[in-house]
Amino acid sequence: MTRRLRFQQRRATPGRTLAICFALLLALFCVMLAAAVIGSESLPVSAALRAVLTGGKSASGLTAEQRAILMDIRLPRILLAAAVGMSLAAAGAGYQALLRNPLAEPYLLGISNGAAVGTMTALVFLGGHEWSRPVMAFAGALVATMVVYRLALGRTGTSPERLILAGVIVTTFLSSAIVFITTLMDATRIRSFTFWLLGDLSGTTTSLLAVALISAVVGALVLAMNARSLNLLMLGERDAFDLGVEVGRVRLTVFVAASLLVGASVASSGSVGYVGLVVPHLVRLSFGSDNRLVIPAAALAGALFVIVADTVARTIIAPRELPVGAITALIGAPLFIYLLKRGR
Amino acid sequence: MLEAREITVNYGLREAVTDLSLFAEPHQITAVVGPNGAGKSTLLRALNGAVSLARGEVLLDGTSLNSYARRAVSRHIAVVAQEADLRFPVTVIEFVLGGRYAWANAGAWGWETERDVAIARVVLRETELQDLDSRLMNELSGGERQRAVLARALATEAGVFLLDEPTANLDLSHQATMMRLVRNRCDEQGASAVVVTHDINLAAQFADQVLLLKGGRALAKGSPREVLTSRLLHDIFDLQVLVDAHPTTGAPRITPVH
Repeated sequence: MTRRLRFQQRRATPGRTLAICFALLLALFCVMLAAAVIGSESLPVSAALRAVLTGGKSASGLTAEQRAILMDIRLPRILLAAAVGMSLAAAGAGYQALLRNPLAEPYLLGISNGAAVGTMTALVFLGGHEWSRPVMAFAGALVATMVVYRLALGRTGTSPERLILAGVIVTTFLSSAIVFITTLMDATRIRSFTFWLLGDLSGTTTSLLAVALISAVVGALVLAMNARSLNLLMLGERDAFDLGVEVGRVRLTVFVAASLLVGASVASSGSVGYVGLVVPHLVRLSFGSDNRLVIPAAALAGALFVIVADTVARTIIAPRELPVGAITALIGAPLFIYLLKRGR
Repeated sequence: MLEAREITVNYGLREAVTDLSLFAEPHQITAVVGPNGAGKSTLLRALNGAVSLARGEVLLDGTSLNSYARRAVSRHIAVVAQEADLRFPVTVIEFVLGGRYAWANAGAWGWETERDVAIARVVLRETELQDLDSRLMNELSGGERQRAVLARALATEAGVFLLDEPTANLDLSHQATMMRLVRNRCDEQGASAVVVTHDINLAAQFADQVLLLKGGRALAKGSPREVLTSRLLHDIFDLQVLVDAHPTTGAPRITPVH
């Protein structure tokens, strides 16, 4: 047995999964640290690390201003980027397995738009109470998910073509709803809204950040717990049923968990596109298709990806900023085309 | 032990299967033969609890199939369907380990045990796929894929096998291998198998019992010698056939007369 295997073709085991996740976690930590010191105000690495590890208590080597930049501006933003990346990548992996479509992605299926409509409804009609935003975003994502699934469902299950078409229909319908709600706003808020719609990590609050982080971890864990069922659903609902999967229950669980992930992420930072498409693809390409490995690895890699993208977004034309969604799409779309061209 | 008692399945207003009874006896292979649209696949799906019954019931070891949890059914009944749907790169061993799903321990995040992997290795050897275990399913030939589907069914350690056209993509030697593997499970472990097939000669050779289906109804049921007669086959397929005895096995041999 001396055949050499592509990394993709090695079987996922608990040990291999832990090793890969540990490596990704280490990389994530390094990227977080780098993102914390890079910017219009460069910070000294060791002092910044010490400040972060002590929760801001030991700020020797940093001026008061630098400490504030690090602890009050950059760190919350990096954590939010991590939560958003984790949420969208894990949700993408879940949707792809469940709908048996490598192109299924929260943004492209219109689910992010559903969450956006929910958030905007909360802002405009419910007075924008802080908790109403994520709750309504979750509801919007869940409704959009159900509608897309129903529309895509043919007599013999969902075909990939129907799914993408259903996504287009839901996306365009919800886009006009968004336009409608936008016109109800006063002119001064419209600009910040357009920014938010494209995915923007700058305008968060502590409680939204907490919601996003908790949802990201809980949602990704729920998806990971259903990963073996998703492995079989990936081969078709009929096969999965024959092999003992309670298809209806797993589908509902995955839909709710994925909607929670998308809802919390959109409520705090708008629709960041392509993360759920590119990250799970790269993970599967590198490590194979077993969801017990793909879902946790995609969650960590997604966090890494969005932190990098956001660091680029806030430094590339400094002192001005781009919405992070513009960067993820800019990286995501060509990479996706390249992956398609390379085959498989 | 699986038994269908006078089951009727409706698809919309159409009756796909009408008042059909079938007893899948241990140690026996039952072949289901009939023209396209006769309700053969629907019968298999009903036997597996995948379609709801308008009338009648399916019993597994004497208890109604509906009273079992899905996982429990899958530990008893294995299905070999036509062509799996493969849009993601899955290796052969991963695919075959899917057959162990129903045995998974809920606490272990669904990781396979060493026993699961050992069973998968055994069935891969039985189906002559042991050298392909790390290949991707969509790199295999149609015949190799079909064998992987059988391997996955064997890995479930079920006592009842439902096979839908298991030999459709296979060459002559692998057709025989496939049916021999099913035969062995029946002979050695007391399994029973229900095989839907268009290959009447294969049915004649390997089946203990043949069910002739037409328009969702059973036209005849019995040993191959009793059922595979030129008169009954003419009734079913509207085609003249010559039936003689196979020179070495003595089983009925069917040749269409054009």
